[in-house]
Amino acid sequence: MKANVIAAVVFWAALTLVGEAFALSDLFPAVGSDQAKDFDHIFRFLLFLGIPVFTVAVSVIIFSLLQFRARGPEEDGPAMRGTGLPPRIWLAVTGCLAVGVMIYPGLTGLSKLQSTGSGFGWGDTDAEIVIKATGQRWFWSFEYVGQDVTVIGNGREVVLPVDASIKFEVNSIDVIHSLWVPAFRMKIDAIPGRTTFMTVKTIELGTFADQQSFRIQCAELCGLDHSAMESPVRVVTRAEYDDWLASQKSK
Amino acid sequence: MYALKSVAGALGAGLIGFYLGIGGLGAVRALAGYDAWDTEMSITFGYVFGVIGWVMGAGMWGAWGREWFGLRTYDRKAPGWQRYFVFNTDHKVIGIQYLVTFIVVFLLGGLMAMLMRAELTHSGHQLFSNAQYNSIMGLHGIMMIAVAVAALVGGIGNYAVPLLIGAEDMAFPRLNALTYWLIPPVALTLLCTPLLGGIETGWTAYPPLSVLTNNAQILFDVAIITFGLTSILGGLNFVVTIIFMRAPGMTWGKLPIFVWAMFATAWIALLYTQGFAVSLLMVLLDRVAGMSWFDAANGGDPLLDQHVFWFYSHPAVYVMVLPGFGIALEMISHFSRKPLFAYRYAVGALLGILGLSGVVWAHHMFTSGMPNYLHGPFLVATELISIPTGLIFLCALGTIWMGRLWLTTPMLFALAVIFNFACGGVTGIFLADVPTDIHLQDSYFVVAHFHYTIMGGEIFALFGAIYYYFPKMTGRQYNERLGKIHFWWMFIGFNVTFFIMHWPGIQGMNRRIADFMSDLNTANLIVSLAGFFLGASFLVFVFNMVWSWIFGPAAERNPWRARTLDWQTDSPPPLENFPVPPVVRGHPYDYGVPGSVHALFPGRGAEEPPRPPSTFPGAAPAPAGGGGGGGGGG
Repeated sequence: MKANVIAAVVFWAALTLVGEAFALSDLFPAVGSDQAKDFDHIFRFLLFLGIPVFTVAVSVIIFSLLQFRARGPEEDGPAMRGTGLPPRIWLAVTGCLAVGVMIYPGLTGLSKLQSTGSGFGWGDTDAEIVIKATGQRWFWSFEYVGQDVTVIGNGREVVLPVDASIKFEVNSIDVIHSLWVPAFRMKIDAIPGRTTFMTVKTIELGTFADQQSFRIQCAELCGLDHSAMESPVRVVTRAEYDDWLASQKSK
Repeated sequence: MYALKSVAGALGAGLIGFYLGIGGLGAVRALAGYDAWDTEMSITFGYVFGVIGWVMGAGMWGAWGREWFGLRTYDRKAPGWQRYFVFNTDHKVIGIQYLVTFIVVFLLGGLMAMLMRAELTHSGHQLFSNAQYNSIMGLHGIMMIAVAVAALVGGIGNYAVPLLIGAEDMAFPRLNALTYWLIPPVALTLLCTPLLGGIETGWTAYPPLSVLTNNAQILFDVAIITFGLTSILGGLNFVVTIIFMRAPGMTWGKLPIFVWAMFATAWIALLYTQGFAVSLLMVLLDRVAGMSWFDAANGGDPLLDQHVFWFYSHPAVYVMVLPGFGIALEMISHFSRKPLFAYRYAVGALLGILGLSGVVWAHHMFTSGMPNYLHGPFLVATELISIPTGLIFLCALGTIWMGRLWLTTPMLFALAVIFNFACGGVTGIFLADVPTDIHLQDSYFVVAHFHYTIMGGEIFALFGAIYYYFPKMTGRQYNERLGKIHFWWMFIGFNVTFFIMHWPGIQGMNRRIADFMSDLNTANLIVSLAGFFLGASFLVFVFNMVWSWIFGPAAERNPWRARTLDWQTDSPPPLENFPVPPVVRGHPYDYGVPGSVHALFPGRGAEEPPRPPSTFPGAAPAPAGGGGGGGGGG
């Protein structure tokens, strides 16, 4: 029994090390916003925590397959009923893990993401740049509030300045869509009759041509051309952004 | 030919009902001054009367309906294989009817998955238009949901629960037959949806899209409302059966763990299935009766549907997975030849999941634009549910530890359930925590996650259970070598396909799309190839089942040397299961406990420990005394 436990623990530790090394590999698309940095950090944190849990199951199964095999039903195993201390320890450990993950990164991350209790969306309600995003089957239109600039249709570039907080006020005129920018790791649904919002802080330059995660993508099934409902995003310097705005106005 | 009579009667009466419904509605509409034909309203009425005609024609009229008019009822006593084609009230026949029907549906749904993966081998369009892809995707979704909800509950549950608790049959046998006979019209109706343009809303059918979309939605709505009805009636039947039909001495503390799992499952099906039906009924009323539950311009709210829908559809994942846990733990205990570790904690976990299942639904809606104050409570409840789930793992891992693992095909499947669900459980944490879910929601990460939990957790358990009960059901033994080939083929194919699928999701590949970004070409090609590999594994299964059912060697009464009651009767069991009603004395899993007896058959001696397989004189069809013959080597 004791030798088996030690061997299994060593096996678990080895598997866990391999798993954690895998967790260090490059998993994420390009980082475009502050929120994306947070997401990558939290995702990796949960992965570091989750891998040892996964390997507990894997190592016990594989170890038992190798060590406790029988050729048939002739012999019975020891009558361990699992009462007393072992299940209580298990319950305490899993309970602590669940409550711990619930508090950090769950509730703490949530409080960072939400600025109001009764609103419908992510981030601050105020931002430097406000863009009204309206979904309809099967394209988006983006109205730069106060700028008299509107970008309509698939394939038309949405240009955003770097180091700015940008609020998307999201709406829909027909069915439910969802505004998702993978490089920003943020998403909010577009609901007819309700204005939802998400505020992101851009921190890196990037274009769709170089990094396909710089795109606005509909993430809620909206019918026929759902898969084609996307707009490229270009994050540029403030000067380039002002030039772009001016060029759009002159059109 | 009773079978032909029954099926032709069902089809004929169904068609007559269908046209009567359309005609009756047309007459009323014409009298009121409208056009006699209104596509959606006519189909709805035709469907309702058509389904009534179908079940009556299938034999419900003779076995049940005549009674309502004071007439004498009769049963069609069909011999041999024909009993599977009539309105049969034997739970064993119904279980096999369910299993075979849903294996067919599963293979059809799998074929759709192959078509989807063929389209997704490369970005751009390969085989299908967007409309065709959406239709195939929606059908794959709803057919597999139906398989996941009903194959294990209706198939293995119906077959095994009365045997495990020592009952003659379910509490309401005719109701049980009705729940099965409602299934074929549902399947046929779903398969008809491409004729009306195909469902383009996926299986979730969110309005306003489902209100605005083509006429196929109406078929989807009425079919799934019917399917919900079978789930509710089945749930009711299981609850009553497990409470009232247990053999003398089968106290709650001695109930096999699969029965406990079915008990929790049945309560969930009974309490929550209405949610799905109601959400579809509201969509139906919006479409047919011109109401505006979901039309914001007329005072409706699109999010109402998601709350009602997920109020069922989250508990539904426990309808899928709890019986999977139950049968996996059952098999793990028998094949490890050890008592079920921490049995009481496992029961507590099943009931804990039942309790929590109703308060976690909105974690499917974290990015839906629901009010911000709702996220916190649902995050907390969702994280809490990992505690009872963890106890299931304790139970499984504790049981195999130091056991005498007999690695038959069902045991391999049961261990795979634990392996796969561990992966699905860990990825679930990322989706339960709002900060990570915002990015991952509606991405391929979610697709990978729920295939790991539902397919890896439940469908693996279903296949394990089919192998486990195959000798009992058919009286023949399956081919162990082919079974193991199927297992390893499916296990490897499944894990390669769905493990890699997480990555495109993190990279930003949204789900339910016919086309994707070109930088994900390689990953998708690998997933598609692995998916085809996985799909091919089921050919081995089908061959093994068909071949062994016809040509397999005769099975013993108890090839697994298991202690539970289902293995103490003949293979296949007689009509009312046990020649002598059993009396339960001890715990079902007391392996390695000297002198322990699970059940006695008064007048016939104890079922255990005497090892010779035939305890009932003259009942066993198998060659007597064949020790370890059918089970194959480990």
